[in-house]
Amino acid sequence: MNDMKIIFKREFEAYFYSPIAYVFSVIFIFLNTGLYMFHFFFFGNADMRAFFSSLPLVLGMIFIPAISMRLWSEEKKLGTVELLLTLPIKTVHIVLGKYLASLAFYLVALAGTLTIPIVLLFLGKPDIGPIFGGYFGSILLGAFFLAIGIFISAFFSDQIISLIITSLVCGFFVLIGWQYVPMVVDGWIPGLGSLLYNYVGVTRHFNDIERGVIDIRSIIYFLSFTTLFLYLNTKVLERRNY
Amino acid sequence: MIELQNVGKNYGPIQALNDVSFSIKKGEIVGFVGPNGAGKSTAMKIITTYTMPSSGSVSVGGYDVVDNPLEVRRIIGYLPETAPLYADMLVYEYLQFVGRARHLNGNFRKQYDWVVEAAGLGSVLKRKIGELSKGFKQRTCLAQALIHDPDVLILDEPTSGLDPLQIIGIRKLVKDLAHEKTIILSTHILSEAAAISDRILMIHNGSIVADGKFEDLVKQVSDRNSIYVSAKLTKKEFESAVKSIDGIKNIIYDEALPRGVVGAHLVSDPKTDLTASVNEIIRKQKWDILSFAREQLSLEDAFIRLTQGGSQPEGGVK
Repeated sequence: MNDMKIIFKREFEAYFYSPIAYVFSVIFIFLNTGLYMFHFFFFGNADMRAFFSSLPLVLGMIFIPAISMRLWSEEKKLGTVELLLTLPIKTVHIVLGKYLASLAFYLVALAGTLTIPIVLLFLGKPDIGPIFGGYFGSILLGAFFLAIGIFISAFFSDQIISLIITSLVCGFFVLIGWQYVPMVVDGWIPGLGSLLYNYVGVTRHFNDIERGVIDIRSIIYFLSFTTLFLYLNTKVLERRNY
Repeated sequence: MIELQNVGKNYGPIQALNDVSFSIKKGEIVGFVGPNGAGKSTAMKIITTYTMPSSGSVSVGGYDVVDNPLEVRRIIGYLPETAPLYADMLVYEYLQFVGRARHLNGNFRKQYDWVVEAAGLGSVLKRKIGELSKGFKQRTCLAQALIHDPDVLILDEPTSGLDPLQIIGIRKLVKDLAHEKTIILSTHILSEAAAISDRILMIHNGSIVADGKFEDLVKQVSDRNSIYVSAKLTKKEFESAVKSIDGIKNIIYDEALPRGVVGAHLVSDPKTDLTASVNEIIRKQKWDILSFAREQLSLEDAFIRLTQGGSQPEGGVK
């Protein structure tokens, strides 16, 4: 536990050493609130549906890969991975420490978008349930994508490659949860598309939670996939095959 | 303290280490020497538990590196070849991080003060690591490897890229630490290995080609005696004069001399000593001698002999 805290602290601080973190947080907040504001003024609804509906794609394909790309790739490039993995700390604690630091950074950026519900509360009477559900879903979604990202970054010493591959994998999880993509896949291999849609696609689960329907199956979906990728990350590093 | 038994390591089809066995006693300083890509770093990475061996067994302080990596990591201080530094951290932050991660709670302060002093980091503690000179970076890394006062020190090319003064500083530090620690260091500067270590392990193509004290290694490979003479006279005069000496097996002329000066290595087999007979000729002929020296096989020559399977280095004996 203490070991995890030590790794977490260094990793979290490292996000603030580099300007990339600030740049991405600002872009994230502006992009999301900007996209949302257009919708807000156009339709004049005091809810956050537009914000949350674009979130999976923005998070999965841009923002999360940008946060997670450095987690192992940078260590590999600098050679500090040799220091980290020869410390008397269990690999799983290093993985979790780093992962939680990236999650904390994501939560800081997500907290930056809280301006929207605050403004809504002043301007009208928004339904609190879906907004709460939306943020809860966003946390689960970010946690899941970050687990994918940390896992992928362990394979590459080039951050950009990690970013692109993570973006593609997260994009897959998002798109396979859209209705028409599984239909196309079903056209190629009947049954595969619906199977992926039901069990792998992230969008359906996120949409449920974001509507305020907190289904235990959706929670299990997020937690099990997150755990799976963190487990795989630990196993890959424990193979010590460099 | 460190035991390797039939250790092999493959990277795909490439065999980085091949059936390597050796054991290092507590308190020994061992120099790994060998050409680049010989397997020195791979062996060190396996000992420090960073990489898994493909075959064979390795133990450090009685703990197996595969089964008990955490115990091994606790007793090892490791300086990897690529200095593992976080460029954005300050020197003291970095040492604090490593100290905490190495569980130095109560005695952190004491160890920290000692290591800062030993590595000479006092003046740069509040500087960003990325802005340090190469020498200070290397010293920060060394401090990182020493902060938990490990029983075993693994130093992968600790002096590479440093200036001569810094090299002397690092060598002195290693020597000072020597009496209480088991140290392995790798280098391709052979004189350095000879100067610091008690024992030299020569690695080539993933195998150990020689193991022993420097003097023994040199004896093992020296297959000749050699004398170097240079004097102000013509090659012809020189040739006709040395013809009369018994036991000369080979004469290698030094081509890089100005006109009117001749220089040559006179080679005999290891049992014959040419010194007296050459000296006699010099006196008799009243040569104007520029230099006259007995040549010893250098570690470089031994190295080349061993790594090239006994073939002669170009240009013969130096």
